Amino acid sequence: MRRVPLPRRLRLFFATGVAAMLALAATGTASAIQPGGITDEARLMNELFWIVTIAGLAVFVLVGAALVYAMIRYRRQGDELPPQFHGGAKIEAAMVGVPVVIVIALFTISMITLVQIDDKAEDDALTIEVTGFQFSWQFAYNMDDLGTNTDAAAEGTIAIIGTPQNDPVLVMPVDEPVEFLLKSNDVIHSFYVKDFLYKLDLIPGRENSFTVTARETGDFSAQCAELCGTNHALMRFVVRVVERDEFDAWVAEEAARQLGTGTRVSASGQ
Amino acid sequence: MASVAVPQLSGYQRPAVLDWIMTVDHKKLGILYLYFTLFFFAVGGILALLVRTQLAVADNSFVGNDAYNQIFTMHASAMLFLFIIPVWAGFGNYLVPLQIGAADMAFPRINALSFWMLPPAGLLMFAGFIVDGGAADGGWTAYSPLAQQTGVGMDMWIIAVIVLGMSSTIGAANFLVTMFRMRAPGMTMFRMPIFCWTMLVTALLQLLATPVLAAALVMLFIDRNYGGQFFDPNGGGNVVLWQNVFWFYSHPAVYIMILPGMGIVSEILPVFSRKPLFGYKAFVFATIGIGGLGFSVWAHHMFTTGSVLLPFFGFMTFMIGVPTGVKIFNWLGTLWGGSISFPTPMLFALGFVSMFLIGGINGTYSAAVPVDFALHDTYFVVAHIHYVLFGGSVFAVFGGLYYWFPKIWGRKLNERLGKLHFVLMFVGFNVAFFPMHMLGLDGMPRRIAVYADSAGWEALNMLSTGGAFLIAVSMIPFLIAVVMAFMRPKDQPDDPWEANTLEWATTSPPPDYNFDSLPPVRSERPLFDARHSNGEGH
Repeated sequence: MRRVPLPRRLRLFFATGVAAMLALAATGTASAIQPGGITDEARLMNELFWIVTIAGLAVFVLVGAALVYAMIRYRRQGDELPPQFHGGAKIEAAMVGVPVVIVIALFTISMITLVQIDDKAEDDALTIEVTGFQFSWQFAYNMDDLGTNTDAAAEGTIAIIGTPQNDPVLVMPVDEPVEFLLKSNDVIHSFYVKDFLYKLDLIPGRENSFTVTARETGDFSAQCAELCGTNHALMRFVVRVVERDEFDAWVAEEAARQLGTGTRVSASGQ
Repeated sequence: MASVAVPQLSGYQRPAVLDWIMTVDHKKLGILYLYFTLFFFAVGGILALLVRTQLAVADNSFVGNDAYNQIFTMHASAMLFLFIIPVWAGFGNYLVPLQIGAADMAFPRINALSFWMLPPAGLLMFAGFIVDGGAADGGWTAYSPLAQQTGVGMDMWIIAVIVLGMSSTIGAANFLVTMFRMRAPGMTMFRMPIFCWTMLVTALLQLLATPVLAAALVMLFIDRNYGGQFFDPNGGGNVVLWQNVFWFYSHPAVYIMILPGMGIVSEILPVFSRKPLFGYKAFVFATIGIGGLGFSVWAHHMFTTGSVLLPFFGFMTFMIGVPTGVKIFNWLGTLWGGSISFPTPMLFALGFVSMFLIGGINGTYSAAVPVDFALHDTYFVVAHIHYVLFGGSVFAVFGGLYYWFPKIWGRKLNERLGKLHFVLMFVGFNVAFFPMHMLGLDGMPRRIAVYADSAGWEALNMLSTGGAFLIAVSMIPFLIAVVMAFMRPKDQPDDPWEANTLEWATTSPPPDYNFDSLPPVRSERPLFDARHSNGEGH
């Protein structure tokens, strides 16, 4: 059969298409280079993210290339009818087999990660009770449950309460497991800290919890991720990860302010 | 066949308007469905432009927070309930009887009832904007208890969705009976056109899933108005119950929204590759597989509730990637070794395949449960759903319109304008929705009316808004093409595309009751067989 050169405009169209696809793939890869999260758990999730991304990009490039190749190679060049091929048992079995292998592999890997991050922390971990409300947050610390340096005889609770205009700050220590207890009394909210690569819902009538160990200090912005009404977008907060001694000092200061100076506090005998 | 003289009954003719209102003809009802749904596509599109305008810059006050919640809720409600689900009923109404060689649907009057339930429901839903408290604003997912707090617009939304559900349930029964009982002689189930197969599985999903949504909505209505406590933990109810029943319908509904689009693409690709669909039976079984598995993945929308059996739903969600992958191979295999031309319907079909490929890949992120913990309820998911429902379904809608326009209206849409429409929409779509992946990875939650300047999301949002307006601009060549087509006489032959299926064996547009005579049906491509009666290819 005579090879008819591809019309110029069509060639341009395909070239643009291929370039656009490559550009998309490249930006996708570049954009995926995220800060790997600041917790042990987030780093595990980040690895899984990369595995899914590499598998996905491989599928995209292979199938995309085959599509573009087929469009160019098999463009109509005359009236002659191409072979009328309907399929075949072997190739159709492969059509099922290849995706089965890919998805079972990905499923297995993601379950391994799930088990790793679901490891429950020790009972003596610092516990922060998070209550979501329309439209801000309360972070409560029980004085007898402050993790390392807890004084079991300490009493009282300190609480940080935000407003939609004034984002509350959640202070937590670095390098030790911290457990979050999540509650809501009005509607569903979702506790979402981007740098934990994690979110969990606050559901009325239900208590959810999770544990993370942060490995970096600093301020990290976070916000509610479940539509909860008018000012949902303003339900922001800041996670401040600090060294343990800084945390103890902060607790002492808050306890003195909220519970009065006479109250016994936990932090290092202050 | 083009010169078949259809005997016209003389005597009383209804006025045109009355005729459209009282018709029980599947073709006229199909056209009414298309007009109705395209109208709401425009309405939903305008709401989307309001959303994108609000999000274009940081700390914007273009619309208020309350108004924003109403706008995005009604954008989704219009697009899902008033456009994409009923638009397939429109294509199905017009095409299923023609494709199986029948004179009409099995129950023409019930068919008319299905359609005429839509306009009052659409009106009721949108009338929420003029009542106290405004339209529904709890998202199209209407999560309780938030959905208990809003005004009467929410009740109107609930009733409207129940009515729309009834319409699609009885419509589904009608499609099933029509396909099971009224196929032409020789048309076995495995010779049925592939679009009909996708409509069949869609109808099954509607029949089985939609009543569950109706039950959930009735419970929500009782909770709101009569002190029911189905979803109220203070009265012994369960908040997460709503999500279970809602998604038990709404995940299969995603397949209700995409399967017929896959069917349309699978009609178009073989015609313009001049080859049969590669792996017809594999495609049928994959469609059935998606339908079946579709009922076992609902809780992947709920991974972050902390009350879901994660491994089971993660596994089933991965598994549904298998029949989906099979379909990609079906389409690739159809192109492979073909003789491919690129008229407008083919461009939209290829646009569907490439965008749906991305929509499949970015969906696997949410199947990997720990990754979903990060991406759930962020703009990454917004990107995913639009790659499936816009890059997928909407491209299929336009592919189908360009492909069947000559059959339905007897005129052809201008090719140059069509190609311009495709290129603008394809580019606009990717500019609008691809940046949302990055926004989601960067932590931007969905459904927020404002974001702070310090979040650093402004540039990508601005880009996305530009893309959305480019999509709107792409409608201009389409509308010009439609107007131009209607200014011309009906000049289309029976089969302008050298197609395969029975709807092309009658005049364009077809007469009342469709066929005077049918060609023999000995394969899934009776018209191909008729053109190549020397048996070539079989």
